[in-house]
Amino acid sequence: MTTVGRQLRDFAVGAVLAVLIATIAFVAVRNQELAARQTELATRAATGIAEGRPLPDVHAVLVGAPKPSPTRPYLRQRRVLEGDAWRPLVAGGGPDDKLIYDAANRYDQLAARGERRATSRVVSASAARDPRRAQAAPPEPDAWSPPWPAAIAPGFAELLPDGSGRAVAVAPVTSAPTYQLAIAVTPPARPAPYPLLVMIGLLGLGAALAAAGALIAPRGLAARAAFALGIAVLAIPCVLWQAWTGATAILVVAAGLALAQHARLTDRITAGLRRHRTALGFLAPAAVSMLVLVAAPFLIGLVIGFYDHHHGQWSFVGLSNFGEILSGGGRALDDPLNFWFILGVTVLWTAANVFFHVAIGVALALVLSQSWLRGRGVFRMLLIVPWAVPNYITALIWKGMFTGEYGAINSLLHAAGLDGVSWFSSWATAFAANVATNTWLGFPFMMVVALGALESIPKELYEAASVDGASAWQRFRHITLPHLRPALGPAIALGSIWTFNMFNVIFLVSGGKPGGATNTLVVDAYRWAFERGERYGMAAAYGTIIFLILLLWTVFGTRIVRRKEAP
Amino acid sequence: MTARRPRLVWSILVHVGLVVLAAAVLYPVMLVCKKALEPGRQFALSASPIPSDVTAEHFVELFTSRGASGELLFLHHALNSVLVSLLTTVVGVALSCTAAYALSRFRFPGRQTGLGMFMVVQMFPATLLLLPLYVILDRLGLLNSIAGLVLVYSTTAIPFCVWTLKGYFDSLPRELEEAARIDGASPWMIFRKIILPLARPGIAVTALFSFMTAWNEFIMASTFMTDQTKYTLPVLIQSTVTEFSADWGLFAAGAVVTSVPVMIAFYVLQRYLVGGLTAGAVKG
Repeated sequence: MTTVGRQLRDFAVGAVLAVLIATIAFVAVRNQELAARQTELATRAATGIAEGRPLPDVHAVLVGAPKPSPTRPYLRQRRVLEGDAWRPLVAGGGPDDKLIYDAANRYDQLAARGERRATSRVVSASAARDPRRAQAAPPEPDAWSPPWPAAIAPGFAELLPDGSGRAVAVAPVTSAPTYQLAIAVTPPARPAPYPLLVMIGLLGLGAALAAAGALIAPRGLAARAAFALGIAVLAIPCVLWQAWTGATAILVVAAGLALAQHARLTDRITAGLRRHRTALGFLAPAAVSMLVLVAAPFLIGLVIGFYDHHHGQWSFVGLSNFGEILSGGGRALDDPLNFWFILGVTVLWTAANVFFHVAIGVALALVLSQSWLRGRGVFRMLLIVPWAVPNYITALIWKGMFTGEYGAINSLLHAAGLDGVSWFSSWATAFAANVATNTWLGFPFMMVVALGALESIPKELYEAASVDGASAWQRFRHITLPHLRPALGPAIALGSIWTFNMFNVIFLVSGGKPGGATNTLVVDAYRWAFERGERYGMAAAYGTIIFLILLLWTVFGTRIVRRKEAP
Repeated sequence: MTARRPRLVWSILVHVGLVVLAAAVLYPVMLVCKKALEPGRQFALSASPIPSDVTAEHFVELFTSRGASGELLFLHHALNSVLVSLLTTVVGVALSCTAAYALSRFRFPGRQTGLGMFMVVQMFPATLLLLPLYVILDRLGLLNSIAGLVLVYSTTAIPFCVWTLKGYFDSLPRELEEAARIDGASPWMIFRKIILPLARPGIAVTALFSFMTAWNEFIMASTFMTDQTKYTLPVLIQSTVTEFSADWGLFAAGAVVTSVPVMIAFYVLQRYLVGGLTAGAVKG
């Protein structure tokens, strides 16, 4: 490859990165502009209609108080003033009715929260009422007063998250005699178009610079400088948009690549890619899909752990989620919400399950591998049934068997002359129910793995040992066990990870009863996200901690296994 | 193991023990079959696994009840599940076969790291991924779509499949490939004409696991599919026995119908199970 060709190849890599950064910066900047412009317009329209001066082109209305529906109290009915008459606000009743309804409800949520926080503002807001405004709009007939005073929250404006570029603004009408909201929805707006021609021109200029550098001084400093300059040219638009982070990032990329080129790193990487292109080609589809759908969400999840999500609002809180979790949130150690309690339950859960899986699985495999056993095939078929049954069905079946005074398990106990047990009302029995279910579910895997390992042991070894007079125990200890270990080691590592992360059984069988005491970490993380006010940040922090625990466990666990194998 | 026959008493004891154990293992399954055939919505009022009265009413209800928009509830959701599971199997197996082949037969920088990564992603708790995945699928416009679910399930299934298949590929002899290479076959040709046919048992096991991943999953399905008509079977079946209303008869009928295809596939492929799973582990 010629020097110019090599220079252009490196430039192409740098240019792709630079254009990517510039594009991200551009999208961010123009979205900010659009949001600022549209929300400002919406705010003006909303305050305008509140004061009787509607803006042209912006759809703005007055909305009445929410009234609980007589048939379904959790539904709220509202009315909207359009023209001179109040009509019900229902989805499909008019343009943007659904948007307006949702915006009004969001305002009420904010107001309901503001009520506790800013009682002083209530007074000032009601004192500011202007009686002159009452005549301009017809008052809502038989208006229902919500349990909080109107105009308690300051109102808000935001870009709709549907990508249409519309904004909605809500402003309380402080002058109205009853609760009224002014809501405006702007028409869609297009953000500034991407400056395609400018970017193409800059790319050409950069390429020309890089090529010229290579022609002047094929291996010299000038070539590197021209190369860096060529990429740096692409930072110009970022400077024009005042996206300083973007500009800096591009300059760093330019400098970094020039250094890499100087150290011949780019040549070596290209050569490596070319040499291993078959292998990388085979690997690429899986790698790309894993990156997009596993690595990316994982990283996002890690980041979310540093944020707090509360009633639709995100705020950066640093390590405070982790602090709250690791300190137990100020709860006693035996409180089922304390992290350390849950961790204890989870470790116990994992240890108990893996122990039973391995013990039962290996014992059965040893028996099933005896050639004198009649009906080996039949027994093997029957014993792997639990693996074939979908595990959520298993969990629900066992839940049914444990539930109720006359559930199947209790009936069996009665038949055996014992008293029935209320399985989910004490921790020990509820935990035992979970473990029993998961043991039933999981031992066939270990059995199959152990069977496979046993089948691979050459018969001659046992014969030789018998000839040498080894006892049954010695044969097991010195032949069977060493052959089982390499297969069982990874199976146990994998099994413990699966059990640690097992969700279905605990969620469906005991459901955390009694009082959340049988929740494991994953179940509790799920509850933080979906059952305790959408505390996504807490859930993500839990996830991160779970991952770290498992990582430590695998690193040290495999080390222990390896050390045992060594002698 | 040993070919020597133990004493008769010991042999009888082992046989009896195994029969008892097999009965205990089968008991929950038989209870469900009993419940599916017995009238009534209660779970079980007796411990006997033999139905006291036989009726087809639960199955009839399962196959004839209709959803809000008039579709046959069970068949509709079964179709969703079949589609999702089959596509997941195809995508998951295709991606893992190629990746496992690369990791088994080629030496390239980053190979060990790659293998390690496939192990590490097993440790990502699903609940950590649930929310970001929701956002990503939303951005890609794949929420509420079968394609989105298929992509998520395939990537969940890939790590385990890659490990299993890599182990299987490792155990295949290399001589054939070398001969083919000398005859001028391209890597792709070797993969397609030699490796894939030889690895059929391993692939069968991987396919089964991919299928079961998709067929059995319900948390992601219930989170990503907000449109009820897009629900998969697990979500539908779980909804028959909630805290508030439990119809165990309907559940049992659904459970039986849902489990049967998986169990058939499982038993067809079970002779490969031992080899497919352990080939890699034993060879290290």
